[in-house]
Amino acid sequence: MKESYSLVFNIKRHDPEAHKSWMQTYRIEAGRILRFTDVLRKINKELDPTLAWNSSCEHAQCGSCSVVINGKPMLACELLVENAVVYFGTTTFTIEPISVAPVLRDLVVDLEKAYDRVHRIRPFIIQPSKNPNQGQEYRISPRRMEGYLDATRCINCFCCATACISSHKGFLGPNAVMASVVRIMDPREDATEDRLKQLYSEEGVYRCHTSKACSHVCPKHIDVAHFVGLAKERDFT
Amino acid sequence: MQKKFKLSSTIQCDVLIIGAGGAGLRCAAHILEKRPGTHIIAVTKVSHPQKSHTSTAQGGLAAVDPKDAVDRPIYHMFDTWKGSDCMADQDVVQKIVDAAWEEIVWLENRGMHFTRDEEGRLSKRTFGGHTVRFGEASAFRAVFEADRTGKGIMDNVWGEALKGGVAFLDQTLLTELLIRNDRCVGAVLFMEKTGEFVAVSAKATVLATGGCGQVFRVTTNCRQNTGDAHAVALQAGLPLIDMEAVQFHPTGIVGPGILASETLRSVGGILRNKELDPFMARYAPKMKELAPRDLVARAIETEIREGRGILNPDHNIEHIWIDLRHLSDYVHEVQIPEVSGFFKQFMNLDPRTQLCPVRPSNHYQMGGIPTNAFGEVQRSPDTVIFGLYAAGECGCSSFHGFNRLGTNSILELITMGRFVGERVVLSMDEAAEGLPADAGDKTFSRFAGYLENKKEENIDQIREDMRRMMTENVGVFRAEEGLNTAIHALTVSAERVRGAALRCRSLQMNQELVQRWEIDNLLSVSMVIAQGALRRRESRGGHARVDFPQRRDEFNAHTLACMTEFGKIQFASRPVDMSIFEAKGDNYEKFGLIERKY
Repeated sequence: MKESYSLVFNIKRHDPEAHKSWMQTYRIEAGRILRFTDVLRKINKELDPTLAWNSSCEHAQCGSCSVVINGKPMLACELLVENAVVYFGTTTFTIEPISVAPVLRDLVVDLEKAYDRVHRIRPFIIQPSKNPNQGQEYRISPRRMEGYLDATRCINCFCCATACISSHKGFLGPNAVMASVVRIMDPREDATEDRLKQLYSEEGVYRCHTSKACSHVCPKHIDVAHFVGLAKERDFT
Repeated sequence: MQKKFKLSSTIQCDVLIIGAGGAGLRCAAHILEKRPGTHIIAVTKVSHPQKSHTSTAQGGLAAVDPKDAVDRPIYHMFDTWKGSDCMADQDVVQKIVDAAWEEIVWLENRGMHFTRDEEGRLSKRTFGGHTVRFGEASAFRAVFEADRTGKGIMDNVWGEALKGGVAFLDQTLLTELLIRNDRCVGAVLFMEKTGEFVAVSAKATVLATGGCGQVFRVTTNCRQNTGDAHAVALQAGLPLIDMEAVQFHPTGIVGPGILASETLRSVGGILRNKELDPFMARYAPKMKELAPRDLVARAIETEIREGRGILNPDHNIEHIWIDLRHLSDYVHEVQIPEVSGFFKQFMNLDPRTQLCPVRPSNHYQMGGIPTNAFGEVQRSPDTVIFGLYAAGECGCSSFHGFNRLGTNSILELITMGRFVGERVVLSMDEAAEGLPADAGDKTFSRFAGYLENKKEENIDQIREDMRRMMTENVGVFRAEEGLNTAIHALTVSAERVRGAALRCRSLQMNQELVQRWEIDNLLSVSMVIAQGALRRRESRGGHARVDFPQRRDEFNAHTLACMTEFGKIQFASRPVDMSIFEAKGDNYEKFGLIERKY
């Protein structure tokens, strides 16, 4: 087992003021269990403080640090150096920003723009159903929840939307569709028809080509395509 | 020659909420439910509200279910008071505990996916320090959403805020509070994405920016938790309260700083040092690994200090081991799959066959911007700043005193968020006041300085050194000598960073510029923590003085610290509210100056 690796990071950079984009190569030595966010921090400290990248919680719970590494959208905070070397079979990595939002600088994208699609599906209960226990909690059986619970683990990192082959052509995108499916299946929501109308609209699920790239890249291991499939088949039982 | 900056615009709104995490957006949701159409701007430093630190809370949310046959609010109040080491304010404790279940119902009715029992009711679990009948037995008091309760709260309050029509400003910093004659009229913001400065005029300004864990080398806090509102409040001449009260969790995972929860020890995990000696037996012969958080943290820290720690070469930090190898497959697969998974995910270790590295990690700031029980920010114990509020980890009404119980933090942020909302609603009919003519000037001179400095310094190195130094001297253990060392080192760091040049001199999306600003905030907050810790010559809750190991009644008051000039602190104090004790109702004696023994 190697203790440390000599890495080559080819990073796509962008300067918003000069309207200039270019690839920049950084050579850096990194310990085997450093995460890619640690390596980016190391680059800032040792080589180039101007390189901009995004992160927040850095333990795969917020979805801020998504980047495209050797073609695959991933969370930089949970990719360990030695795992990356094994997975990609190389010590050279090309790192680019995710493609579903405009780049602000280097690896930082305007996530607010990516979120527009999630906002469009209205990620809340639009019309609450009648609660038989007024002033108390709704009763929902764990069995009923099982059908959609996995989808609630989504952190909107947009890895699926980046991998999705339909995402750039007016499709709401896998994560947004999934968020709407959760509320369709949630007994507390009454606005099911409203939601379905959107899911079967021009920007809806029939844009999906069922490549299942979404499920393949999801860092939370959610079978995103399954939930998109439920919407296609209108099968929410 | 100073660069000429100007405000790119002045925005009017009813309510300005700075920090769009659980507390800030719960506040927004309440205001919009009671007064639809209120113009609210919510500002967040992260790239989207959903990325807030609230989302990382795992365990649960303490609240006494009125349908519960055994549990009662008075028990929860007692546990919180005892846990606080007699420093929580009892009026606040009563108010939050009494409102807790309403908040659970609010969250559930708006769509939070709480974990449920077979009958479809909310499941509850036990947590350290939560008991029934004043310590007799463990209480099942924490409702939860699997291991992602904070995310459940965040998704919900964000959704409700969005539904109500809040306008969001993402990746935006609070750089200046506009206060005139004890009235806050708004704030100056810096928008990272465009590099613009804006002034916002608001009838109410709410601070909800979270904690300041980045002061320390190993922390469970997000990258953005740099004590920004704390520092801006200091610059505005406001005090901070009880900043020396910092909680360290005994077992953070080396590297990402994620928590390896108490569960690992409760299922039989053994802590071992470099020689593989199960050292807890020497510190707590009976309780061993199950001793309270602070005791375990101090034991681990002692082992490391006495040379029996292990140095992790990649993260360059010392730790001890937690040994889970002897536990059955059933335990690994059923009882600890998540935490066990973290070691695999972030350290590439298999806890079934390998030792796992952990160490005490900064977790929570009990102190903050002082408020009363309504969340109104105080200048002194008897004066509030009109129109300025604080809630969540950045505020301190003092619900936690000097030590916070698990599951009380997200309860506090959600209830205090609502309380602030209630107060704000009452003030909405007043007219907004104009902004001062010099709004932004302080921000401009600060930012111009950053961009014009010429001295060659490695700011990242200064920051790293500071965090290491704070962990060593102002962390789990504190003593006069180390604290004086820390105060001196902070002065030196502040001097070093003062003239440091930036390589990227743009205002637009300049990470280096933001980090330069952050280090000023971190240094200010660190200085207040260190000096507060030096002044408090006793041990209480999360504040452990090796040279004064006992709690002392003469220190039975909150610390207020003002610092308008770096390093020069004016201290005052605020009495601890003991209204439950003084009311002499049933069981009032439990709320006296009791011992914190478990």
